[in-house]
Amino acid sequence: MKFDLDAVFVEHGCAGSVLATRILRALPRHVPVTHVADAREATRPASGARDPFGAGKRRMVIARRKTPFLMPCHAGSPSFACCGYLVLTLASNCPMDCSYCFLQEYLADNPAFQVYANFTDSFDELDRLIANARGRSFRVGTGELADSLAFDSLTSISRELVDFFASRENLTLELKTKTDEIENLLGLDPRGRVLVSWTLSPDAVYRSSEHLTAAPAARIAAARAVLDAGYRVAFHLDPLIAYPGAERDYLLLIEELLDTVAPQQISFISMGGLRMTPRLRGAARSRFPGDPMLCGEDVLASDGRFRTFTPLRLSLYRALADRFRKAGAEIPAYLCMEAASVHESVFGAAPSRPATIGERLARG
Amino acid sequence: MNADEIDAQIRMLAAERRLPPSHLARWLAMDPASRAAMLDIARVIRIRTGQLMSALETLEEIAVREHATVAGVLGRPEIRRIAGGPGSAPSRASALLQALRTLRYPLLKKMQEQLRSEVAALKLPRGISVVLPNELGSDELTVSLRVRSAAELAHLLEAVDRSRPGLTRIIEMLGGKSEK
Repeated sequence: MKFDLDAVFVEHGCAGSVLATRILRALPRHVPVTHVADAREATRPASGARDPFGAGKRRMVIARRKTPFLMPCHAGSPSFACCGYLVLTLASNCPMDCSYCFLQEYLADNPAFQVYANFTDSFDELDRLIANARGRSFRVGTGELADSLAFDSLTSISRELVDFFASRENLTLELKTKTDEIENLLGLDPRGRVLVSWTLSPDAVYRSSEHLTAAPAARIAAARAVLDAGYRVAFHLDPLIAYPGAERDYLLLIEELLDTVAPQQISFISMGGLRMTPRLRGAARSRFPGDPMLCGEDVLASDGRFRTFTPLRLSLYRALADRFRKAGAEIPAYLCMEAASVHESVFGAAPSRPATIGERLARG
Repeated sequence: MNADEIDAQIRMLAAERRLPPSHLARWLAMDPASRAAMLDIARVIRIRTGQLMSALETLEEIAVREHATVAGVLGRPEIRRIAGGPGSAPSRASALLQALRTLRYPLLKKMQEQLRSEVAALKLPRGISVVLPNELGSDELTVSLRVRSAAELAHLLEAVDRSRPGLTRIIEMLGGKSEK
């Protein structure tokens, strides 16, 4: 386990679960474990903490999930050209602490790191999904409300996940991470059904904003390792932050990536400019007042989010898309939370329907 | 004045202007030189409460962006010129905020100027208006015609058609296609 925990809470009824047993066995002895009848109180912000959200990240709660695991991506909206991504919520929050992270707003009221003891129930939901949509393919990811691999050395959830997805022809699992926690993956056979994706940022963003994450070079090296182990790989340049010198730094990052992973081995690339609701922006700046990456040339856009003003944001997208185009292989690419007109402007063609994009990305 | 006296003066001015406690706290959290420089300019320009809040926020952001202090930013020639220059207090306060915004959003301001000069260069007749998106927050250009007769409409449509290359260029600039 690479991340520190201050405490673990186990909800009544979960203590004997495979997951709880596994976690408690691997947990360092100094971390106190408390058994609680109802985990909800333990998930709430710690009263009196100077940084309740940060404190929540170091408090693990093992509980039953009482709502569905599978849902459409929360970022989806008719105003955006979406990618058809489905989210499988097996955990909530992340032990890393990126200054720009949307979870600071999304999980402000329940910031504890929750992991769901009944996570294998999600497999029934997935089987129902494919049974009801025969012939269709889906890309399902666990990295939306949590990093897919951050606590994998403790939970080993990836093992069950990879085994499940490896045997489902129409499902592709996306494990999205900013770590290099890939040890569990290397001994498994994903049978082409699992892609591991990394959010990549230049060193300047990593140093300024991505606290406790693996360095960009380590993420790229980990991608190479899982590729060699039979996984597909993808990369998210999201958030793209338009700081002074950003274009040069992102292009250098792409060079570094393409030196290690050949373009034809990349399943897809996504890009998304930094976007923040006013509430998220306030929370982020209050937790990270000295981070210049949070003080870009952002303006309030029509969707109510602060975004880098449009010509600058689009010119950065275009420069990176051009670089990937010149790489000599047609790497599927999409923009996250951008309007169709922006896709058309950057890629020169209107985006397909979300379901079509989703199928294409799932099939690879 | 020593630091305690400066802080007392800041508190007094904040009370006079009914500055929200959160903004007073931000001001008092600055380094001593920055606290004093901010007090100095607020007094010289007799800046209003809303302007003071904007100035504090913008200065903080510039300082973070540029790894500078607020005192360093306020000491720049373009700001000192405004503080010590002619004009009424309200006009200088307004000029101060404009200058701070230019420092805070240098590329946006430059792009807006380029686009405005592109629009002006079209020399469109009265009745045609070209409106850039607010703060360049989208890629949408609004071109509108105001007419009262079919002949007027024909005249304006011809003018728009003649301006097509220029308008196309503006749309491309909004889409990030300008040369750097």
